[in-house]
Amino acid sequence: MIEFKNVYFTYPIGVKALFDIDLKLSKGERVGLIGQNGSGKTTLMKLCNGLLKPTKGMVLIDNKDTMSQTIAQLSKRVGYVFQNPDDQVFSSTIKDEVAFGPRNLGFSKREINRLVKDSLQQVGLWRRAKAHPYDVGYNRRKLITIASILAMNTDVVILDEPTTGQDPMGKRVVKDIVRGLSKDKTFIVASHDIDFIAETCDRVIVLNEGRVVLDDETRKVFSKKTFLDKLGLTPPMITRVCQQVKKLPNDLLTIEDVLEHV
Amino acid sequence: MAIIEFNDFKWHYYETEEHDLTGVDLKINKGEFVGLVGPTGSGKTALCYSVMGVIPHLSQGRVLGGSVVVDGLDTQEHSIGDLSRSVGIILQSPLSQLTGAGLTIEEEVAFGLENNGVPRSEMIDQIKHVLKRVGLYELRKRSPFEVSGGQQQKIAIASVLALEPKILILDEPTGYLDPGGTEAVFSLVKKLNNQGKTIIMVTHKLEYLARYADRIIIFNKGNVVRDGKPQEVLSDVHLFKANNLTPLPVTRLGHALKLKRKWKGDLPITVKDAVRGLK
Repeated sequence: MIEFKNVYFTYPIGVKALFDIDLKLSKGERVGLIGQNGSGKTTLMKLCNGLLKPTKGMVLIDNKDTMSQTIAQLSKRVGYVFQNPDDQVFSSTIKDEVAFGPRNLGFSKREINRLVKDSLQQVGLWRRAKAHPYDVGYNRRKLITIASILAMNTDVVILDEPTTGQDPMGKRVVKDIVRGLSKDKTFIVASHDIDFIAETCDRVIVLNEGRVVLDDETRKVFSKKTFLDKLGLTPPMITRVCQQVKKLPNDLLTIEDVLEHV
Repeated sequence: MAIIEFNDFKWHYYETEEHDLTGVDLKINKGEFVGLVGPTGSGKTALCYSVMGVIPHLSQGRVLGGSVVVDGLDTQEHSIGDLSRSVGIILQSPLSQLTGAGLTIEEEVAFGLENNGVPRSEMIDQIKHVLKRVGLYELRKRSPFEVSGGQQQKIAIASVLALEPKILILDEPTGYLDPGGTEAVFSLVKKLNNQGKTIIMVTHKLEYLARYADRIIIFNKGNVVRDGKPQEVLSDVHLFKANNLTPLPVTRLGHALKLKRKWKGDLPITVKDAVRGLK
């Protein structure tokens, strides 16, 4: 579905962000990106929808080079939710904001209305549809940006730090959205919220200083405590507990996992 | 001795999603490290604004009764400027706090001092002192915009510290930081707390509060719902559920085990407690 072939990326001001990335993301995969601030997570995700084009190497979406496609073409396939909602929101009502994407993709009026209603219901903001996006708080504005990408019904959904600042209810909403995505959609998320990654992703890619240093099943990645420690990263709280109790395996992720073993 | 005192303080917002304050009674002592926890829109921000004087002076709304006294100053009788000598705030995103007025970290920290009319010689000493305190002195000539997120948050903290407030309010200061950056901010704040600063930390990162705070306040619907020691408050799973909050994973694990009669005693709030219980 998405393929990185020997990709390098350097920002125009000279900052080298990614080195020699080779990756294949298949249809329906749930992929988490972790790494320190500045490790290249956001750059990698922006290469997936053509917001950035590689300095060297190739990014292919369904075997087509992103170089030869416009952002408008790519955005039909790949939906991208920015880290900061204020970089994304521009309409004067929540409803218009969410309708913008599907309208540009040429859906019928009826279809647009259905998509907008569905996605706003999913994030719990349908009854505020007529409000101005800036009349709701920052955290709810983030949910608006997620709804506007859901409404575009793209094959790939990319979220950059979706749970930052969300309270437990907001986190649950985002988690339910990801879990509710249809099986044929590919999902990529970058986050420091390790519990969120553990609960939503089946594959985790670890980035460090612009390179992929680990890429494996979620469970296997978090079992490597010493390796993660060196990169300043931490396994989920439950995993850390199990890693210090001899009679428990070192790759348990959830409370349910532990209950099976105690 | 109380440095912050809410006396049946009632505030009504004209138009916002944040909850009104519904008669808050609260005393915070000098030198306490208070963790403030509550769902979005519960009024936590209103509480912080009331300490800084943004409520009642800037926010759209009105006082319906009671008072807030901060470091001996009644917030309804003193300006935000007066109060800013006692209270400093650090926001979620350092990017919304850094002024961009300085080309270097040093100049950025100078901004607040210049506005307060601090003499140049005093300012130079003061900047050196705070940058050393937060561990940024070596980076002082770098641009604030070419260092990591964790370091930017430290710049924001240094800029506020330079004004020597007795009370530091931090509103979700580690949202965008990686685990290393988060730990660095919390341990810096704890160090400042040990040096006598009063801390109010708003955060959803309970794991850090369990280790660093000495008091936790659960806030909801514009008032204090619970106020106590971290162990007592964070292990109360029913309290969390009733307020739309989620307890720590280790606490939920302990609770699940307790239901199966496989856990004895207090529910854990740290990895250490959980490990001890499981052994």
